[in-house]
Amino acid sequence: MAPPGQSQRSSSPSQPAGKGEVADVKTQLRNLAGSRAPGVDDSKRELFKKVISYMTIGIDVSSVFGEMVMCSATSDIVLKKMCYLYVGNYAKVNPDLALLTINFLQRDCKDEDPMIRGLALRSLCSLRVTNLVEYLVGPLGAGLKDNNSYVRMIAVMGVLKLYHISASTCVDADFPTTLKHLLLNDRETQVVANCLSALQEIWSLGGSASEEVSREREILLSKPVIYYLLNRIREFSEWAQCLVLELVAKYVPADPNEIFDVMNLLEDRLQHANGAVVLATTKVFLQLTLSMTDVHQQVYERIKAPLLTLVSSGSPEQSYAVLSHLHLLVMRAPFIFSSDYKHFYCQYNEPSYVKRLKLEMLTAVANESNTYEIVTELCEYAANVDIPIARESIRAVGKIALQQYDVNAIVDRLLQFLEMEKDYVTAEALVLVKDLLRKYPQWSQDCIAVVGNISSKNVQEPKAKAALIWMLGEYSQEMHDAPYILEGLIENWEDEHSAEVRLHLLTAVMKCFFKRPPETQKSLGAALAAGLADFHQDVHDRALFYYRLLQYKISVAEQVVNPPKQAVSVFADTQSSEIKDRIFDEFNSLSVVYQKPSYMFTYKEHRGPFEFSDEIGNVSIGTESADTVDPNRVEANDKDLLLSTSEKEETRGLNNSSSAYSAPSYDASSVSVPTSQLSGLVISNPSVSGNAPQSSFAIDDLLGLGLAVAPAPAPSPPPLKLNPKAVLDPTSFQQKWRQLPISLSQEYSMNPQGVAALTTPQALLRHMQGQAIHCIASGGQSPNFKFFFFAQKAEDSSTFLVECVVNTSSAKAQIKIKADDQSATRPFSSVFQSALSKFGMP
Amino acid sequence: MRRGRRMRRRKASNFRFCFCGFEIYSNFFFFTQREMLQCIFLLSDSGEVMLEKQLTGQRVDRSICTWFWEHTISQGDSPKLQPVIASPTHYLFQILREGITFLACTQVEMPPLMGIEFLCRVADVLTDYLGSLNEDLIKDNFVIVYELLDEMIDNGFPLIAEPNILREMIAPPNMVDKVLSVVTGNSSNMIDTLPGSTSSCIPWRTTDPKYANNEVYVDLVEEMDAIINRDGVLVKCEIYGEVQVNSHLSGVPDLTISFANPAILDDVRFHPCVRFRSWEAHQVLSFVPPDGQFKLMSYRVRKLKSSPIYVKPQLTSDAGTCRVSVLVGIRNDPGKTIDSITVQFQLPPCILSAHLNSNYGTVNILANKTFSWTIGKIPNDRAPAMSGTLVLETGLERLHVFPTFQVGFRIMGVALSGLQIDKLDLKNLPKPPYKGFRALTRAGEFEVRS
Repeated sequence: MAPPGQSQRSSSPSQPAGKGEVADVKTQLRNLAGSRAPGVDDSKRELFKKVISYMTIGIDVSSVFGEMVMCSATSDIVLKKMCYLYVGNYAKVNPDLALLTINFLQRDCKDEDPMIRGLALRSLCSLRVTNLVEYLVGPLGAGLKDNNSYVRMIAVMGVLKLYHISASTCVDADFPTTLKHLLLNDRETQVVANCLSALQEIWSLGGSASEEVSREREILLSKPVIYYLLNRIREFSEWAQCLVLELVAKYVPADPNEIFDVMNLLEDRLQHANGAVVLATTKVFLQLTLSMTDVHQQVYERIKAPLLTLVSSGSPEQSYAVLSHLHLLVMRAPFIFSSDYKHFYCQYNEPSYVKRLKLEMLTAVANESNTYEIVTELCEYAANVDIPIARESIRAVGKIALQQYDVNAIVDRLLQFLEMEKDYVTAEALVLVKDLLRKYPQWSQDCIAVVGNISSKNVQEPKAKAALIWMLGEYSQEMHDAPYILEGLIENWEDEHSAEVRLHLLTAVMKCFFKRPPETQKSLGAALAAGLADFHQDVHDRALFYYRLLQYKISVAEQVVNPPKQAVSVFADTQSSEIKDRIFDEFNSLSVVYQKPSYMFTYKEHRGPFEFSDEIGNVSIGTESADTVDPNRVEANDKDLLLSTSEKEETRGLNNSSSAYSAPSYDASSVSVPTSQLSGLVISNPSVSGNAPQSSFAIDDLLGLGLAVAPAPAPSPPPLKLNPKAVLDPTSFQQKWRQLPISLSQEYSMNPQGVAALTTPQALLRHMQGQAIHCIASGGQSPNFKFFFFAQKAEDSSTFLVECVVNTSSAKAQIKIKADDQSATRPFSSVFQSALSKFGMP
Repeated sequence: MRRGRRMRRRKASNFRFCFCGFEIYSNFFFFTQREMLQCIFLLSDSGEVMLEKQLTGQRVDRSICTWFWEHTISQGDSPKLQPVIASPTHYLFQILREGITFLACTQVEMPPLMGIEFLCRVADVLTDYLGSLNEDLIKDNFVIVYELLDEMIDNGFPLIAEPNILREMIAPPNMVDKVLSVVTGNSSNMIDTLPGSTSSCIPWRTTDPKYANNEVYVDLVEEMDAIINRDGVLVKCEIYGEVQVNSHLSGVPDLTISFANPAILDDVRFHPCVRFRSWEAHQVLSFVPPDGQFKLMSYRVRKLKSSPIYVKPQLTSDAGTCRVSVLVGIRNDPGKTIDSITVQFQLPPCILSAHLNSNYGTVNILANKTFSWTIGKIPNDRAPAMSGTLVLETGLERLHVFPTFQVGFRIMGVALSGLQIDKLDLKNLPKPPYKGFRALTRAGEFEVRS
């Protein structure tokens, strides 16, 4: 809100002078309340307007509640509307006074003008005062049966509002059933749409896996309902279409014919003027064809043009939302967009968040045929006024170089960057050249020639400096000045603020020493002395380590510090593919914009009222404050993504640069892992046997035990007991399902009796329940059934989640198990299978 | 469109191959919370809350606006603020129109485009009702704004955004009404009857309007987006166009528009009134129009080969100064006058001072080191040129960051994509109406790099 000084600046007539005016208005209203003089409505209207304008700018005018209600006996509909607005705002804080309004609202609900009936009903339901719900039931019931669709439409939403105030009153009055009836029978599509929206919410809140509710949900997703809605889709308003489309995206068609029917029916929605409809349709198409690889690809081709048009047509805000979705698709299937790369060229005026997305897409779609043009375009941005974007585009060039074929041209460009004499350009380019050399050592000649000309004084950024120093160390043989440049840097050790740079300096001078000892010896001594005296723990430790290594044996030190290296073939990706898949599943949602699956940022469906405090600026969003991650674990676990992008950049940079010396430490770790830990590894996760046994052999060898000893067989797990009364609500199931990795996935043949007994999903549910495995959701029709089960260990409450897809025609069941306690997956899977195999047995 | 149809056939023939790969995809059995937008705020350009509309039972505290405003200030440049922001408590959608921020809050997952699209529509409807948008207009008419929001969204879910229908429920504030109210003493801006179309099968059309003079105007409005590199090569050039219709026709008329060359269109989007099937089959626009002004169709034409004008900037730097010369002329004569030609560019920060003169038109210096050269029409006798010198920061020999020149122009009477309307047929009308056609092309994002 504006500081008070500013808000007074406004000259609008409806501005307040102060608190005294409220009292003034109060008396005036009181005088008018009983009056029947001509023109009284006009005076009332002026006063009402004043009251509402006070309310709007945040002045408490609840004190005139009584007078407002008294004045509301009028036939003037604008007055009524203003009064409804006022009452709706203050009823909650004045429940006693709200009772006053009930009377006139109820009367208005019976007015002969449908508009007044509707408005009164809407206001009545918006009072949201718990002890007044009994007055709602009558008017709502009448409203649902009203012959005017406007009133019905409002009544349907009213039911939802009532449900939020008092679910039991709503259910007792049997309103959900009425809504269901209206959903399937009302002529007016807006009423149908409101029913759909209300019922979905009621059933999702009525949550707790009650069997009735889940059956109702199934009905909503059943073929007749979906088809009924789809066939009328053109009659729905654009927003209602979005609602229907979202429901359709959850529908599971029985066979491919159905998929094609749905898609053909919806194809023209892609041409709709409303972008939200286009995206919702896109989602349906993508979801329906997920399992049909080549059709899925055709879908991409089909949706490409509409999405690209959407980007170029709407306002910048709309473009951004579409672009985020396009970004997701481009990242999934870059090859499909490779001929449309020009759409991702940045325009001068675009905000930088748009440019950033476009840069990423340009990087992704680069292939043999367009690399040259894309890189040319990216080089244009390097001279951009917007420095962060300039940096970003240089990085993009580097990424393309690392993933692409035509490295030749790109290296030249990068080297040109180095000659541009812009400090930030030089800095970014240096980091890239370093990465490039790690992947393509054959370019070292050309690069070194240029890098050698860069004065280290012009490089200030730690990352760039570290890169330069790394190259000096790595190529000290080829760069004549290397020892002297390093010497200069070491002389200024005290002025070097970045520990990262000092670490690099130590390593580089070591490497240099191995290659050109006479020239480097002096500076090595100086560096080690400075390092040992360094206040930074890591720097000190590394200096000490090098010192002792050198003391032990120089050749060993060389093997550790500067072993022959292999070119890096692939740099680690920051976002795991599973995360990307999850974001894709949540297409057309906020996840896409944030590039995170929703569970990472919506940690509760509804957060409680939040106290805004003075420290608001410091309060970070739940997701960002997440755990710190061990930067060395490159295999991205989910938490990794909680880091903001910049942080990620940081850790990645660290990884890249530190791996120069982490090479020896890797060796060390594979030798020094204690045996106990190794065997633990073997037991807990038999699938990693690829590496583990080898190294354990190596250890055996070291210990002189000979090769004959095989890794100890896994001890047979204790029998697993399941809790027969396990409980889990759908929301937490869903959350868990998203968070946990799949710990086991297998196919299982069902016995014929079981298949025969599986005529409805319910049969299997009851059977499994007897085995302490509970079902949380099920669906499908013969021959495909799908179930989500859960079970809990009896001793601790760790849970197992199962997705089970049964195809009765092939008598196969596909099972995916996720578990809190991964180690118990196997025993659980056998319990589950034996339970499944008993199904249908007498 | 042709591509679409081919595609469908392929799909149908393909399914046999995919059958074995069929599998139920995972995890869509659950419903998520359906509640959508929780609150809408309108903020003035000083961050003051002008209007607050709570949409659901969960009130959103106003302090969210304070947070938003502080966030905006911390970002510096408010038009560059992201449209979707996560605050500590809510997800915010924001759009900025004429200095007014439309802010919507939600706490649950929802389609982001829906939130943004809806706010855009609110802004459009308000502009339509109030004539334009500014702080005072909103404050003076906030009752109407409330009324509109009331009908546009219920319980956080958008209902109606079609101005035609809203106009029937809530009368716009205009002079006629004001005069009438003085005369008759009836000042209600509320229309007594409910719109008929809420229950008709043509939801976008007013019930049965009557006009003494039936007339319909069709405008082709095109915008050319182009990037031209420093060698004068067209890097990218495409047209975004709209078919705008203004219809004042009685009854329920049925219109058909056909194009001489629909094949050049790359992608099309339609107003809901357009019958998709007849476009698909014959590339013909068949529709019952809404009443008044509306956007019938938008389209894109890609890969254009030439631009109507050229802009040739040349920058040569030497010893701390940079000589600039910019030439502007006609490259491909479109056959009609090109007017409103402007060239605008922002100088890089490393330039201390600049002296620029033109032999035609005027050169103005705007804020932020931006130069604006207004040319208007290109004269017959000479080519407009601008030249001058830039003084670089001390220590800089040469210029490394080059300005981008943004070009504006307008051509009346031509659609540069080449799209031509073949004919307009009207059925269901008592007597033949007046038909008018116009075309216009202007520069969209037309950039020349140097």
